[in-house]
Amino acid sequence: MSSKEEEYKEIFLAEAQENFEDVNRLLTDLEKNLEDKNIVNALFRITHTLKGNAAGMGFLDISSLAHVIEDLFGEVREGKLKLTKDMFTSLFRAVDTLGALINSLKDGSKVSFRGIKTKLEVIINRAKEEEASAAKPAEEEENKVEAPAAKKKAPAKSKAKSAKKKTTSAKKEEPKKEVENEELTAPQLEEINKLISQDEEEEDTGVSETEATETGNKITFSDLVQVPVKKLDNLLNLVGELIIERDRIIAAHSQNGNSNEYARLNRISSDLQYSVMDVRLVQVGFLFNKFHRVVRDAAAVEAKNVNLELKGTNTEIDRNILQIISDSLIHLIRNCVSHGIESPEERKKNKKSEAGTVTLAARNDSDGVIIDITDDGKGIDVERVREKALAKGLVTKEMLPMINEQDMLMLIFEAGFSTREEVTSLSGRGVGMDVVKKALDSIGGNITLHTEKGKGTTISLKLPSSMAVKGTLLFESENQQYAIPLSYTEAVVSLYKSSIHKVSGGLIATHLGKTISIVFLKDLFTFYKHAGGSHNHLQTGFNDLHPEQQLHVVIVTYNGRTVGLVVDKLLQQKEIVEKPLMKPLDQIKLISGVTILGNGHVCPVLNIAAIMSTIFNANLSNQKAI
Amino acid sequence: MADIQEKKLKDKVLEAKKLKEENLKNSNQKLDLMQLIAFKQGEEEYAMNIDQIKEVVITPNITKMPQTPEYIKGVANIRGNIIAIMDLEEKFGIKTKEGNTDAAGKNFTLVIESEDLKVGILVKEVPNTLAVSESDIDEAVNVIHSSNVDQNYITGIVKIDDRLVILIDVFKVVNEVDISTTNKIAV
Repeated sequence: MSSKEEEYKEIFLAEAQENFEDVNRLLTDLEKNLEDKNIVNALFRITHTLKGNAAGMGFLDISSLAHVIEDLFGEVREGKLKLTKDMFTSLFRAVDTLGALINSLKDGSKVSFRGIKTKLEVIINRAKEEEASAAKPAEEEENKVEAPAAKKKAPAKSKAKSAKKKTTSAKKEEPKKEVENEELTAPQLEEINKLISQDEEEEDTGVSETEATETGNKITFSDLVQVPVKKLDNLLNLVGELIIERDRIIAAHSQNGNSNEYARLNRISSDLQYSVMDVRLVQVGFLFNKFHRVVRDAAAVEAKNVNLELKGTNTEIDRNILQIISDSLIHLIRNCVSHGIESPEERKKNKKSEAGTVTLAARNDSDGVIIDITDDGKGIDVERVREKALAKGLVTKEMLPMINEQDMLMLIFEAGFSTREEVTSLSGRGVGMDVVKKALDSIGGNITLHTEKGKGTTISLKLPSSMAVKGTLLFESENQQYAIPLSYTEAVVSLYKSSIHKVSGGLIATHLGKTISIVFLKDLFTFYKHAGGSHNHLQTGFNDLHPEQQLHVVIVTYNGRTVGLVVDKLLQQKEIVEKPLMKPLDQIKLISGVTILGNGHVCPVLNIAAIMSTIFNANLSNQKAI
Repeated sequence: MADIQEKKLKDKVLEAKKLKEENLKNSNQKLDLMQLIAFKQGEEEYAMNIDQIKEVVITPNITKMPQTPEYIKGVANIRGNIIAIMDLEEKFGIKTKEGNTDAAGKNFTLVIESEDLKVGILVKEVPNTLAVSESDIDEAVNVIHSSNVDQNYITGIVKIDDRLVILIDVFKVVNEVDISTTNKIAV
C-alpha cells in the first residue's frame, strides 16, 4: 500500500466523517420538520457524495448503504414517499450503521449492515408499491385492451391451422396473461416477505447490530483537521514576523558578545518556521494526476495518440504555488499535445513510435522545485519563431542579428505570440504562453526552454518550494540596503572599469566567456525620471567612475537573459519575509515588495522580472534612437 | 529630548481626542465644534480633521523608493507597518529653501491610516490642535489656481482671529497622488 493511497484514505475518512455528522444533524432537523424540502435535498446530496466517494475508494459496503439511503431520500424528494415519524427510527439506525461502517475502516471491525439496508429497501419498495397500486386501474385497462388484441393476433398467426387449435391457443394465452399479471406482484411480495423475515432474523440475532448502534452513538473525532488556507497564510505571516523580530533582537544584542544566549530562541523559532512551512506542502502528484484527463482530451480533439508519463510525483511543494501554476501547466501540456507531438502518420514517417509521450517530471533542486514538461515531438522551429516575431512586431529587422537563438525562443512567452497560423480550440489563440510567464514571475520562478528539431522540447519551470521565506542577497547602493532574490542570482563578481565597454547606449562585459549587459542600479532607478532625455542614460554611472575603481557586480539570470547589476557594496545572504507594497506605492514595478531588517529599517526587494524587461526595453529604445 | 517631545505630542493628541469625545457627548448644545490638527507647510498653516490622523511620531528612517514622484520620500517602518512618507510642501509646490526635510530627526510624521491607505506626512514642527466652530469654516472656497491642478482636496478655509488655516482632506490628496503617479509611469 503506497503512502499516497493511505493519504487518500485519510482524506476520505475525514470527509466521510464530516458527511456522517452532517447527515445526523440534518436528520434531527428533519424529524422536527417533516415537510422541509431543503433538508431532504441536502440529505440526498450528501449521501450521494458519500456514495460516490466510497465507491471510488472501493468501500462497497459504505457505498451500498449510502446508496439505499440516497434512494430513500430520492423518493421523498420526488414526493413518492411520505416521511412518517416512525420511519426515523430506521433512518437513524441506518445512519448510525453508516457511521459504524466508516469507523470500521479504521479498526477493521466487522459491521453488519444488511439488515438495516433491507429495511430501508422495504420502505422504498412499499412506497413504490403504493404508487403502483394507485396506478393499477389504468394498467388493468391497458391489459384489457391488450387481451383482445392478443386474441386477434393469435388467430391471425395460426390462420392456416385448425379452428380447434385456434381456440385453445387463444384460451391458453388468456390465462397466461393473468398469470403474468400475478407474477408481476407475487414474486415481488415473496421477495419482500423474505427480506422482512431475514431482517427480523437478523434482528433476533442482532448482536452485531446493537454493537453498531453503540459505536455509532459515540462521538468520534477524525485524526485529520481541515484548515482553511487563509488561516495557514495568517499563521505563516505571523511566523515571518516573529523571525524578523528575532533577528532584530539578536542584532541589537550581538555586540555584548553572548550570542549563545539566543541559540535556543534561534533554534525553536527556526523549527517553528519550518514546521509551519511543512504543513503547507503538498505532493505534486495531486496536481499531476489530474493531467491524464487533460492529455486524453487534448489528444482526442487533435486525433493524436499521446501518453502521459509522470515522474517524481512525491516531490513536495507549497500548496499556493501549486495552485498558481496549475493553469500554466495545463496550458503547457496542451501546447505539447497540439504543437509538439506530430500526427501518427507523420510520426511513422519519421520512424518514431506512433504514440507520442509527454513527460511531467518534478524534482527537488537546491532551493526549490523544478518541473520539466517534455515532449518527444517535432521541436520548435526557430526560423518560424523568427518570422513570427517579425510579423508581430516583437522585434525589428535591425535587431535580428543581435538576438541569439535562445533569446529568440524565449519570445514565445511574450504576449501576442503564436506560431500556429490557424487557431485551434486547444491552444494557439495567441494568449497563454505569456500567462505562463506572468504566473511564474509572480512567484519568483524561472522558465528555461530547450528544443531539438525532430526530437522534442523540454520546458523547465524552476519554482521556489515555499513562498513565505525568500532567500536573498543583501547589498548596498547609494547608502541604502536592497535585497535581491537568490533564485535569480547567478554569481557575484568584481570587475574593473577597464573590463566594461560601452556599446550603443548600454554597457557590456564578459562573464565566463559570455557577453552580458552591465547596468548600474542607480541609473536604472533614475531611468524613469530621465526617460526621453539622454538616450545614453544607462551609461552615466559608468562615466562618473574613477578609472581604477573596482566594481561589485551581481549577475542575475531571468528566463535565459543574463545581466550584471552594479551595486556599491555587498552584504550578507539573508532569509526574508517579503511584504507587498501598499497604496499609494503599488505602482512601483522595479520593487516587488519590502522587508523589515533587523535594525528596523525598510529594505526594498528587487523585482528582477520587471528590471530585466525595463533593461531590455531601454536597449530597444536606444537602438531605435540610433 | 526627542522622547519628551514625542510624549508631549501624544498627550496633546490624546487630549484633543478626549475633548472631541466630550464634545460629541454634549453635541446637542455644541454641535458645530470641530477638532482639527494644524501644521505648518511652507509659509501657511494647514489643518485636517483629527479623525484622519492616527498618531504623530518622530520621523523614522526613510527608505527611498525608485519610480515614485519627488514628493514621495520613500517608505518607513512605523510599528511594523510599512508606510509611504509624503512631503506635502513638495506636492503643493510651496517648499521653502531653508526647510530641509531630509534631515529626519527634527521632523515629525503625521500618520494617516484608513482601511486601504497608509501614509505619513512630514511636518517640521509639532502640530497643534485647534477647536473651531463650523461657522468659522468658509467652505465655499473660490481660489484661483492653475487648471491642471485639481484642488478638490481643499475643503475649506478657517479664519480665527488673525490666523488663516487651510483645511484639507488628506485622503483626497493621496488619491490624487495616486492618479498622477500612474500617469507618470504610463508615460
